[in-house]
Amino acid sequence: MNELRQIFETVNIGLVILDSELKVRSWNRWMTLQSGATEESVVGSPILSICPHLNNPVFLRNCKAVRAFGNFAFFSQKLHGYLFPFPPPRSLRSRFEFMQQSCTMGPIRNDEGVIESIFLIVQDVTELAVYEKKLVEMNMKDGLTGIYNRRYLDKRLEDEYKRARRYSRDFSLIVCDIDFFKKVNDTYGHQCGDLILKNVSAKIASALRKTDCLGRYGGEEFCCILPETGLEQALLVAERIREMIQSMESLYEEQTVKVTISLGVARLDEVMTSEKELFSRADEALYEAKRTGRNRVVTLDCPAVQIQAVSNL
Amino acid sequence: MTIDDGKIITDEEIDILQEIMNIAFGTAAAELAEVINIFVELSVPYIRLIPADELPEYIRQEIHDVSMISMVEQNFWGKFKGSAFLIFPADAGRVFISLFEEGVASEDEGADSMDILAKETLIEVGNILIGACVGKVSELLGDNVTYSPPSVVLGNHPNDEIPQGLFDPANSAIVLRTVFCFQERDVSGFLFLVTSHESVQWIRESLATFMAQYE
Repeated sequence: MNELRQIFETVNIGLVILDSELKVRSWNRWMTLQSGATEESVVGSPILSICPHLNNPVFLRNCKAVRAFGNFAFFSQKLHGYLFPFPPPRSLRSRFEFMQQSCTMGPIRNDEGVIESIFLIVQDVTELAVYEKKLVEMNMKDGLTGIYNRRYLDKRLEDEYKRARRYSRDFSLIVCDIDFFKKVNDTYGHQCGDLILKNVSAKIASALRKTDCLGRYGGEEFCCILPETGLEQALLVAERIREMIQSMESLYEEQTVKVTISLGVARLDEVMTSEKELFSRADEALYEAKRTGRNRVVTLDCPAVQIQAVSNL
Repeated sequence: MTIDDGKIITDEEIDILQEIMNIAFGTAAAELAEVINIFVELSVPYIRLIPADELPEYIRQEIHDVSMISMVEQNFWGKFKGSAFLIFPADAGRVFISLFEEGVASEDEGADSMDILAKETLIEVGNILIGACVGKVSELLGDNVTYSPPSVVLGNHPNDEIPQGLFDPANSAIVLRTVFCFQERDVSGFLFLVTSHESVQWIRESLATFMAQYE
């Protein structure tokens, strides 16, 4: 084996050489390790039959650009995820189904400068992608409860407000707060308070649809963003959440701890000019729920519905 | 050939370079259409000699509203060496998504992923366009170049400005400017090629060789 071939075989990246008809000419050991296919078994076969999902416009366009212009093509992990569906490194399997790859494609010329073949470099960037994912999550999620944080909630609220306005869609909001949470902390300690926060947020999350968004707004205050949802539906959801929390039992150091929550509901109406107004309306309703006895759902949007919703509880 | 007035390249050489660029961009546009169905018009290139540190100011003057642009930068290496800058309108990335990324992702994935998609699409369009133009020019001059991965230098952030430090002031540069226009998408912008100081001597020699075949 000559020197360059030895390097070709031992480097810790994938190297593939394709001829002008996109048939495999070389396939290094890294590729064999990841794919299970030896070089002998793939040489001479079209890459599109070895890897059918490469038969897509982006890959083919880049192959053409490499052959016609001597371009380099870059397949970023962000846009493409991967080119070759290899399993991810063992420790990262829970995070990604496939190894995340950053790939480069370019021309190989003969002595006359004519492009004869194409090289492909495949780099495993799964670990980096995991770190990035974690960073993004940390930026969006509340560390204790795992639901969205205030920063994300504000941004999402703004986006959903704009979307609802643009397409004239229903849009409702639930703001809720654990009743007498300070008492929980004072009686059982902060660790118990944390447990309650976790349980309450998990319970609320279980009552919401995938398209809804739950975030922790303040200490024991939560906010549910309900796109495509009218007032009546939102009140139903809120009431369901109230019941679920009321019947929920948290076990802390062999003691059963129970809490209730108060909820304020508001629907985006024609007069409101910002998402802040919608939030204020829900927050005022929450205040009203607190003022009138807690463990209840209140809306200020339509008085008749409000009385009903409260008295039905 | 002599160098008058202390110029690093003569007016005659600039004329020849302009002609080469014109041929190169014409070929590039024709092949882009033929090979990958991208229909782009490239104007007759305009060539100037500018100290690289004056380039940000020059670009600023050329495009008026720098707050509304996205810029793709890519370096190329060979005997022909330098940087290419593609200047797009700020929203071009989103316009290109429908042209380029069939089935990669949909708009429903949220604003953040749309931004990433728009940025990555811009990088891909930039890579192909820069590669085609630089590739043809270097081919006519008798060189083959390699490229760095392209990057988006600016996004559509209203307060961004073209960073001064982007251009190495030592690279007193031949700047080529062309206007490109994507016919189907109604998107147009500028392409600047800034050649490094060290490749100027090689360019002059290549121009002489190029002309020799007609003499």
